[in-house]
Amino acid sequence: MKSFQYLAPIPPFEYAAPRTLSELFETLDGHGKELQVMAGGTDLLIAMKERAVAPKIIVDLGRLRQELGGIAVEGGVLRIGSLATFSQIESSPFVARYADALRQAAANVGTLQIRSIATLGGNLATASPAADSAPPLIALGATVTLLSRSGQRSLPVQSVFAGPKRNGLRAGEIVSSVEIPANEEVRSVWTRSAVRNENALSTVSVAVASTVRDGRFGQSRVALGAVAPTPILAEKATRAMTGSEATTAQAERVAALAAEDAKPISDIRASAHYRKRLVLVLTKRLILQILSESMAP
Amino acid sequence: MKVKVSFRLNGASKTDEIEPNQTLCDYLHDVTGTTSVKKGCDTGECGACTVLLDDMPVTSCLVLAPQVDGREVVTTEGLGTKSAPHPVQREFVEKDAVQCGYCIPGMIVTLSWIFEHAPGASDAEIKRLMSGNLCRCTGYLQQIEALKAARKRG
Repeated sequence: MKSFQYLAPIPPFEYAAPRTLSELFETLDGHGKELQVMAGGTDLLIAMKERAVAPKIIVDLGRLRQELGGIAVEGGVLRIGSLATFSQIESSPFVARYADALRQAAANVGTLQIRSIATLGGNLATASPAADSAPPLIALGATVTLLSRSGQRSLPVQSVFAGPKRNGLRAGEIVSSVEIPANEEVRSVWTRSAVRNENALSTVSVAVASTVRDGRFGQSRVALGAVAPTPILAEKATRAMTGSEATTAQAERVAALAAEDAKPISDIRASAHYRKRLVLVLTKRLILQILSESMAP
Repeated sequence: MKVKVSFRLNGASKTDEIEPNQTLCDYLHDVTGTTSVKKGCDTGECGACTVLLDDMPVTSCLVLAPQVDGREVVTTEGLGTKSAPHPVQREFVEKDAVQCGYCIPGMIVTLSWIFEHAPGASDAEIKRLMSGNLCRCTGYLQQIEALKAARKRG
């Protein structure tokens, strides 16, 4: 039977699915752009069908779910394996306790069917400016562990993004895990605007993490998605919020600075002007949410 | 170059030598004859090709066939039979939840998963969970009714 093709058929490629990390790094060795590492594959398959990419070799990480999966808390750190799926993140009690903004974002990625197979590591390595996992992770001060044959290194989440759909990984390197400080006092919240509630790319997404004690914000971070070539830490907003008075007026000031930090473009989803306005409104909403939670008994 | 895959399809072990550049959707429908698996959008938007992969619903058009090696795949054929249907399949008939039928196998796979794994889900939560299955005929209400009836009668 000949299958009807809506998009062009996927061109032939060589497929490898290493069963150990050493086998993986042997497979990756000596290859350049013709090789593509695949995690869940949901972004990659669409890009291949659209002919945006045409890798000659695909290396599927799927047999390394033991080595690169899992969600655990150890020594004050919440560690999420790169192959953890968004469904696993959405339903993890550890994530709910220490990184609730990430849980909220994970629950909004794509659809149930996408969340069931799409992974955190894949979302970061794909490096979309609208990657919904990134603002929560940046707000929470998370780091990414990259693994290669020669060892491992750790980067702040925002440094994994080099440009739109361009990651900062070196040849032969993979995302191994994401580490988030496991501090129960930190409140983290996330929200976004999109053309539909479900299965839509974010027009703007915002995450805020902070602690409130004795009427002041402690260490705080404001992070933005889809308003710059990469997800960003809103630096002016972050500096203004950290250590400041926890008031409604301050929420407004920080939100206005976040809108200044945003450097959006106009595209099919929204104009740059509208995106800046969204950043202000959504950031204010999130800070007020943190304030009201801190006052709850 | 062909690759070897061994997996379980609707409870039966299957080993095959396959070309890797085909989606699970095309492989199941065209090669194994599992014709409940429908291709709608081919980009993971419509859900017509939904199958369970290790008991999680996935759009099989966004899975490469070799990714299922060592794993378990269930389609609506594997959920129940004509004489012993899954409660959700039975109630789809009872509640007239089918019109043209193209989205139905994928819809049943998703709703059977909600039936098993989210028995307490509210209407809003059911709608969120089934938002990856588009139906252009029914308006979804009969399908939600079918799920609720399945919960009630088991």
